[in-house]
Amino acid sequence: MNKTFDRYASVFFALVGAFFVNGSRQIATSAYGSEVGPNIFPLFLGIILILLSIRLFYETFSYKQTQQEKTAVNIKGFVIMLVATFLYAILLEPIGYVISTFLFLTLGFKVMGNKSWWKTLLIALAFSVIVYVVYVKILEGTLPGLPSWLG
Amino acid sequence: MSVMQYLADGFSVALQWQNILFAFVGVVIGTAVGVLPGIGPMSGVALLLPVTASMTGGLPPEQAAASSLILLAGVYYGAMYGGSTTSILINTPGESSSVVTTLDGYQMAKKGKAGSALAISAIGSFVAGVVALIGLVFLAGPLSEAAIKFGPAEYFSLMILGLCAVSGLGGKSMTKALIMTVLGLLLATIGIDTVSGVSRFTYDIPELYQGLEFLTIAVGLFALGEVFKTIIEKDDQPDEIIKVGRVLPTKEDLKQSAGPIARGSILGFFIGVLPGAGATLASFFSYILEKKISKNPEKFGTGAIEGVAAPESANNGASGGAMIPLLTLGIPGSGTTAILMGALMMYNVQPGPLLFSDHPQIAWGLIASMFIGNLMLLILNMPLVKVFAKIIETPSKYLLPMIIAISIFGVYAVQINTFDLILLTCCGVAGYFFVKNDFPLAPLVLGLILGPMIENNMRRALTTSNGDFMIFLQKPLSLIFLIIALLWLVIPILMKKRGKKVVINVEG
Repeated sequence: MNKTFDRYASVFFALVGAFFVNGSRQIATSAYGSEVGPNIFPLFLGIILILLSIRLFYETFSYKQTQQEKTAVNIKGFVIMLVATFLYAILLEPIGYVISTFLFLTLGFKVMGNKSWWKTLLIALAFSVIVYVVYVKILEGTLPGLPSWLG
Repeated sequence: MSVMQYLADGFSVALQWQNILFAFVGVVIGTAVGVLPGIGPMSGVALLLPVTASMTGGLPPEQAAASSLILLAGVYYGAMYGGSTTSILINTPGESSSVVTTLDGYQMAKKGKAGSALAISAIGSFVAGVVALIGLVFLAGPLSEAAIKFGPAEYFSLMILGLCAVSGLGGKSMTKALIMTVLGLLLATIGIDTVSGVSRFTYDIPELYQGLEFLTIAVGLFALGEVFKTIIEKDDQPDEIIKVGRVLPTKEDLKQSAGPIARGSILGFFIGVLPGAGATLASFFSYILEKKISKNPEKFGTGAIEGVAAPESANNGASGGAMIPLLTLGIPGSGTTAILMGALMMYNVQPGPLLFSDHPQIAWGLIASMFIGNLMLLILNMPLVKVFAKIIETPSKYLLPMIIAISIFGVYAVQINTFDLILLTCCGVAGYFFVKNDFPLAPLVLGLILGPMIENNMRRALTTSNGDFMIFLQKPLSLIFLIIALLWLVIPILMKKRGKKVVINVEG
């Protein structure tokens, strides 16, 4: 059990609960033809969440101090992949599916420690083109195509 | 119409060529998912949910729902089977319900009996699948007839019971499991309220009006979360894989495992029916049972075939049993069945007592296809066990970026907007931190999917009682459900206080 994380988490969840309690007070309190308005359910849940967070905070005091597990952590790889995933998500529409997927996979394979360049490029290209062709041309689904400035 | 007639109709749906294909694809992918150490049944089903949705896009809605559910259920029980392969060959369970299998399975493999261990677990899985099917056929009808008489108050209490059961067994800390449940319920309130039409917590962000999409959150939490976890913790490739050798089990093996398979299947099925208690618990209990009734319990742990046969039958029996509350009551008892329910609701099919009368071809088609899928697993896995053993060696450097790419593709194909892709990535990060710190994900997903139904039933019940909350205690059935729900939370606490070890369900 990670004491520090759980304390932060309990504060965070208490804030989430408070946010929903506060938000539900601004919703209309009754609906036409019904005694119970749309605010009751989130209001109750928000209060329960705050109570549970207090309980979690209280529980952290009885944690036994445990040794941190020593595993090989690859924070650098994680951060790069996370940023790459965000960029992929944002750029998917502007530059199209094939280009963004190709770039993402090339970077991903490289970051994950693939040595060979041509294998990386080949698999990345094959994946993005095959998915696009099968999904858009054969199954007639919707994916952003090539950007308009490429013709 | 009689049950047999419905079942025959179900088979006619399941035997349509595209559904056979879907079942086949499902069990193959499922076995692969189970074998790959990185992804478990929950993330596998979540990952394939949007993909199947886009694959079945051309079919009429009801057929599409039946086909995609057949595929996803195939992934579910295929993964249950595939998980045993890694347990036996490299002593690493592919998913948590195969943890027990490592005890004797790996020892058998070391003695050169890997092939018969794999074959027995395939046969056990098949028998359990058939037992679960028979159970489904006989229990589904009566249960849904009983459930149809439930009013909103009873439904509300029953769903609370389901949530409490999953939270009570949901992880190392019940407080954390309950927090996740409430968080899921709260996230479900975002969007336009279906009863009054008032928008809640949307803050004029147009994407929020339709609410947070279940699919995006499930794929993010499970699939992306596990990818991020694998990247950070840098799972080393398995050192050595034991050669499979002779696949067919000997007569002696079969004779020894017949009893454990039969007991494991039936026990697993009934544990699976209980909400909250899933495949992991079933495999633990059946192992303990076999050890208790065995004439020489000391051989367990040294490569006893009973120690492979019983838990492997039990976890497959449980995955079949878990379909009962989902199909008849509309209440998923675990994370994976919650995702299956999400799949049904994407097609506007509401699981529950009316499913059998409104959409018989979906309900019975699914049941029949589970039989066909299990048969396929048996036929596929006996000769192909060696091929699947090779999948373990798939380098993660290719696999991980591709899982991210498939998640992005799947979510975009269904939602077609960037907002969901960003939400997906955020959920992936959240999923990693939650799991790392023992916040279980299954209760969150369950809360998210049951949230709107709980709220609507609560409000309908309160409307009939003019706002009096006592209605939930005055209706006898509702009161019973609430008492059981309370017991489910209190008993584990009491047991812990007395110093007993509580078996928890990791998979959910």
